[in-house]
Amino acid sequence: MDTHNVPYERAFIFSAAIRIFHWLRALSILVLVITGFYIAWPFLVAPSNSDVLVQGWVRFAHLIFGFALCAITLVRAYLFFFGKSDIERRSFKDVTSVNSWIVQLKSYLWMGHLDKKGVYGPLQFVTYLAISVIAALICITGLVLYANVYHLGLGGMLGGFAAWVTGIMGGLAPVRIWHHYFTWVFIIFVVIHVYMAVWTGIRFKHNSVDSIVSGYDYHPKKH
Amino acid sequence: MDTHAALYEQGKARLEMLRSLEPRHAHSLQTKMEEHGVTRRDFMKWSAAVTAMLALPLPFSTLVAEAAELADRAPLIWLHMAECTGCSESLVRADTPNLDSLIFDHISLEYHETLMAAAGWQAEENLEHALETYKGNYLLAVEGAIPTANNGSFLTVGCKGHTGLEIIKHAAEGAAAIISVGTCASFGGVQAAAPNPTGAKGVDQIVNKTVVNLGGCPPSEKNIVGTLMYFIMFGKLPALDMFNRPKWAYGARVHDNCERRGRFDAGEFVEEFGDTGAKEGYCLYKVGCKGPYTYNNCPTERFNHHTSWPVLAGHGCMGCSEPNFWDDMADFEKPLGRQLLHGLDATADTVGAVILGATAVGIGAHAVASVFANSKED
Repeated sequence: MDTHNVPYERAFIFSAAIRIFHWLRALSILVLVITGFYIAWPFLVAPSNSDVLVQGWVRFAHLIFGFALCAITLVRAYLFFFGKSDIERRSFKDVTSVNSWIVQLKSYLWMGHLDKKGVYGPLQFVTYLAISVIAALICITGLVLYANVYHLGLGGMLGGFAAWVTGIMGGLAPVRIWHHYFTWVFIIFVVIHVYMAVWTGIRFKHNSVDSIVSGYDYHPKKH
Repeated sequence: MDTHAALYEQGKARLEMLRSLEPRHAHSLQTKMEEHGVTRRDFMKWSAAVTAMLALPLPFSTLVAEAAELADRAPLIWLHMAECTGCSESLVRADTPNLDSLIFDHISLEYHETLMAAAGWQAEENLEHALETYKGNYLLAVEGAIPTANNGSFLTVGCKGHTGLEIIKHAAEGAAAIISVGTCASFGGVQAAAPNPTGAKGVDQIVNKTVVNLGGCPPSEKNIVGTLMYFIMFGKLPALDMFNRPKWAYGARVHDNCERRGRFDAGEFVEEFGDTGAKEGYCLYKVGCKGPYTYNNCPTERFNHHTSWPVLAGHGCMGCSEPNFWDDMADFEKPLGRQLLHGLDATADTVGAVILGATAVGIGAHAVASVFANSKED
């Protein structure tokens, strides 16, 4: 394969804010999944001294990163709608075009280019939208569960809202079990997401993994 | 404390009104207490305890005492639907009659199928008479779910063969207030568990009035008598939570006030029943305690004269006072995350892992195909 004489160009696609929040979110999800599974089934043996609050500390970490995820989910929604660059918003045009869907699905089956209006393909855009909705739902159910363990401050302020959600969902047990189901959506998403990011970089020499680190998309010049 | 002052005045006015009514029993509460060897001091202690339980300031204890004495002026009609009578048992089958059961006996109980002497046509007549005489004034307590399928024909009560559905609708019309005693009357209970062939429902889904739900299988005698006392004292319903349960009883989770809570925070768990942790009184979360999802005052009020409650006895809470608990809280000896999903016979984690595995296989296939299918675009 001979690429040294192919002219490359670079485009700035992801702003610093998008990149920072992407990785903060990744870190939050990692910590939340691990601590969440621990809370669901505490597997560490008890310490010799009950002054060491094993469960308490794990829950503490879960709460801190849970609040981080809530904040990131809000900021990320804001950035999507009001961020300076419209590279994300432009992708909505592809979502409404049947042709774009066919082009993207074909490209995943090794047929043709992946031409897009914005930075995301239609299937990719819808997947990200769904994961954002799930993020909002896991944040809401998490806050409802939190309002039941701390009744002052933020927990107290959320009390009325938490009772309302608990009423709608038919009790705290369904709130907790849906919180658990949503976790699996993230786990499965992360695996597909990482594979697709790597694969896209190799196949299309476009939007490869390093773009979410550096912000630049290096790709061959169109000829 | 303006609201408390206003509430106090309201209580006083209400009790004044009750005092003007004809007592239903020949013996006053005082003589009954003397007969049973309950001292005045015990009675005042009980009044103070009920006041604290209802989250009212101490001066209200005189109102509670007065309300208990005037309880025979407030007509109560107690109906039994699709149920096991466990809720009534919780109240009346104490080994020695305590003040709770004594006061329940003292309340002007117009109709109660388990406790009344009448039977057959006479019982039916008593009910009709009570519903008519005290129309608009009686307190209606319902025990048991209401079957609604086939127009309610799964439950008929009495010699006239009225369905439970008809009886409840009729009785609810003239009720001053309605109390669902127990999980069945509140949320349907075991009769309403999937697939619910009789279409059993809670009372509040049948009638158009506010119904106080006293969840619990059974609710403790304190929660039943406390709610009755509140109504006698103020003539209105207490503050209710999202499922219309009194906040003074169901305002906190079982987990919040559990005596084993320290064990939970420390990460000391019973791994299986009978192990060393169980003997040490460790937290029962891993053997299925649903205390974290259940609103009730069991840890503080307990059952059977404050003797014990499930967690003290060594079994986790199974969430009996929550809506749909037979389906939502199962399996009772596993934490929720390890619940078997109906129809799949697998836990959420197993299903998740299988989907994850399928995803990995799909990704692998795509990756391998990519190697052969003209791997890179130019």
